[in-house]
Amino acid sequence: MAQVVSAYPSGRGPRRGRRLLGWFPVSWLFLLPTVVFFVGWQIYPIVEVARISFTDYQFLRLGQQVNFVGFDNFRRALADPLLQQGLLRAATFTALFVPGMIFIPMFVAVLVDRVVNQKVATFYRLVLLIPAMIPGPLVFVLWKWMYDLYIGPINWVLVDVLGIYTNRNQPQWIGDPQLVFPSLAVMEWWWGLGYHTMFFLAGLAVISKDLPDAARVDGANEWRMFWDVTFPRLLPIVLVLVVLRFGTAMAIIDEYLIMGAFQRDRPTYTWTVYMFETAFVTGDHNQSYAAAIGWIGAIAMLVVVAGLFYLFRSRD
Amino acid sequence: MATRELTAPVAHVSPRATPVADTWRPRRGPTMGTVLRHLTLIVFCVIILFPIAWVLLLSVKSLPDAYQNEIWPTVFDFSHYAYSLQRIPTLATNFWNSVLVTTGTVVLTTIAAILAGYALVHLRTPGKAVILALLVASLFFPTRVTALIAIWDIQRRLGLINVTWGLILPYVALSIAISVFIMRGMFETIPKDLPDAARIDGAGPVRMLLGIMLPLVSNGIVVVIIVNFVAAWGEYLLAVSLMNDQSARTLPVVLASASGGMGAWVWPRIAAVYVMAITPGLVAFSIAQRWYMKGLQEGALKT
Repeated sequence: MAQVVSAYPSGRGPRRGRRLLGWFPVSWLFLLPTVVFFVGWQIYPIVEVARISFTDYQFLRLGQQVNFVGFDNFRRALADPLLQQGLLRAATFTALFVPGMIFIPMFVAVLVDRVVNQKVATFYRLVLLIPAMIPGPLVFVLWKWMYDLYIGPINWVLVDVLGIYTNRNQPQWIGDPQLVFPSLAVMEWWWGLGYHTMFFLAGLAVISKDLPDAARVDGANEWRMFWDVTFPRLLPIVLVLVVLRFGTAMAIIDEYLIMGAFQRDRPTYTWTVYMFETAFVTGDHNQSYAAAIGWIGAIAMLVVVAGLFYLFRSRD
Repeated sequence: MATRELTAPVAHVSPRATPVADTWRPRRGPTMGTVLRHLTLIVFCVIILFPIAWVLLLSVKSLPDAYQNEIWPTVFDFSHYAYSLQRIPTLATNFWNSVLVTTGTVVLTTIAAILAGYALVHLRTPGKAVILALLVASLFFPTRVTALIAIWDIQRRLGLINVTWGLILPYVALSIAISVFIMRGMFETIPKDLPDAARIDGAGPVRMLLGIMLPLVSNGIVVVIIVNFVAAWGEYLLAVSLMNDQSARTLPVVLASASGGMGAWVWPRIAAVYVMAITPGLVAFSIAQRWYMKGLQEGALKT
C-alpha cells in the first residue's frame, strides 16, 4: 500500500529547516497550495457534510430555523428500504465488476510480457492504454450509444448481420434490469483494461525470468507455473487493486446518472443516486438526510476496506 | 554525471532490459503458443479500438447513411464538424468552457503537487506524517460523492454556481492527493546526497528545486499533467451539479444530455462533437506517451 513512512530513515534527515519569523518552516510554504485545496474542497466538505447530517436542514425551506436533531437522520436512513436496497445494489455491481477488473488485465499482462519483440509489445501497450486517455463520463456516453437499440452497433450486429435476434426481442443492454449491470461491467473493463494491465506488467517486469525457466525445465505446465510461481509474486498488486477498485465501484454515480437516471426500481438506483436525488432533485432538497445517506455509505465502505486491509495484512 | 547515476537504478526496472531472459524460447519459426498469444492480443486490441472506430465513422456519415447502421459509410461527409461548432447553440462556448476549466486545473494542480512532493521528500517538514496520512486516507474515502452537498454549498456561498471557472477549485482538489503521491514517488528516486551537496554549495530550497531537481522529475510531471487533464476534461458529477445554464456547462455534460439524435443533434453531429471531445486527450497522449510510460515505471505506479 502507499507507504506513509518518511523518505528519511528517522534521525538521518536534513538537519535544520529554514524558518520564517522564527517558527514558521519554509517547507510549509511549499505545501500551502496543496493544503489550501485539499482542506478547502476535501476535508472541510466532508466534515461539513457530517455536521449537516445531524441537523434538519432542507435547502428549499428558506428562512426556517435549522435545528440540531442528533442521530434522527441516521436512524431514519438505516431503516429506509431505499438506502438498504441502494447499498445492496452497489455491492452487487462491485462483486460483479471487481474480479473481471483484476483477472482480465492480469491475463493480458502475462501475454504482453511474453512478447519478445520490443516494438510489438509497445504497440500492444499503447493500443490498450487508449481508453485510459478518454475521461470516464465520455466513455459512458460512448457506451450508452454502443448499447443503443436504434443506433448501437452491438445490436446491429446481433439483429441485422447475424440475425440472432429480431427488433422485437433484441437485448436491451441498459433497459433490462437483468442486463444493465453486466453491460456496465463490460464497459468498465473496456475502460480500465490498459491501465490495470500496466500495473501487472510493472509487477511482472521485476520477477526474475530464471524462476519460471527453472520450473519449466522441471516439466511444470504453463497453468500450474502461473499459479505456483507468478501469481504469488503478483499478489501484492492484486490486493492493492482489489481495495482501490472496491472503492471506485461502491461509490459509482456518474455511470448511473448518465445511463439510468432517477428510476427507483432499477438496479442503477444505488445509494449514491439516492443521495444525489434527495439533495438536489426531490422535495425540499432534504440535504441533511442526504448527508446522512452519504456518510452511511462512506462508513459502510470504510468498514469493508478496513476488513480487506486486515485480511490482506502481510503475514511474514 | 549525477544525472546518469540517478537514472541508472530506474532503467533496469523497464521490462525486457535483459535479453538473457528469453533464451529458452525456440529460435526457429513461431510456435503454436506464440501464434495463439498474438491472436488473443489482437482480439483484445480490436475490442478496444472498435467503439472508437465506430464513433469516428459515424461522425463522417451522411444523414441517410447514419440511420442505415452500416458500419462503413457509403459516402463520407465531413460537414458535421463545422456544422456542430457553428450551428448548435452554445456548443462553441461549452468547448471553450472545458478548455478553460481543464487548463486552470492542470496548471494549478501540477504546480501544487511539485511543490508538495518536493517538500515532503527533501525538506524538513514538521507535520509531514499528518499530511501524508490524510492524503492516503482520502484515497479510500468516497469524497467525490459524500462531500458533494457541502462543495455545492461552498460554491454557492462563494457565488460560483453557474460560474464556469469556479469549477477549477473543486477540480484541483479532486486529484491533488494522487498527484502529490506521484510527485513524491518521483522525488524519492533522487538520492539524498544530491540536495545535501547542493545545500553545502549554498543553494536555497527554491533554487535546488528549479535548477537541479525539476529536470530529474520531468517524467512524473508528464504523468501528473495527463492524470489531471483526463480528470478535469471529463468531469461530470460536479459540472452537472454546479452549472445549471447550458452555456455555463462543459462538454461532457452537454454530450451526456444530448441523446435522442433529433434536430441539430442528429447522430453524426453528436458523434462529431464526441470525436472533438476525445481528440485532445488522444493527441496529447500520443505525443507524451514515451515520457508517460517512463514516468509510470519510475514512480507513479508505486502508490
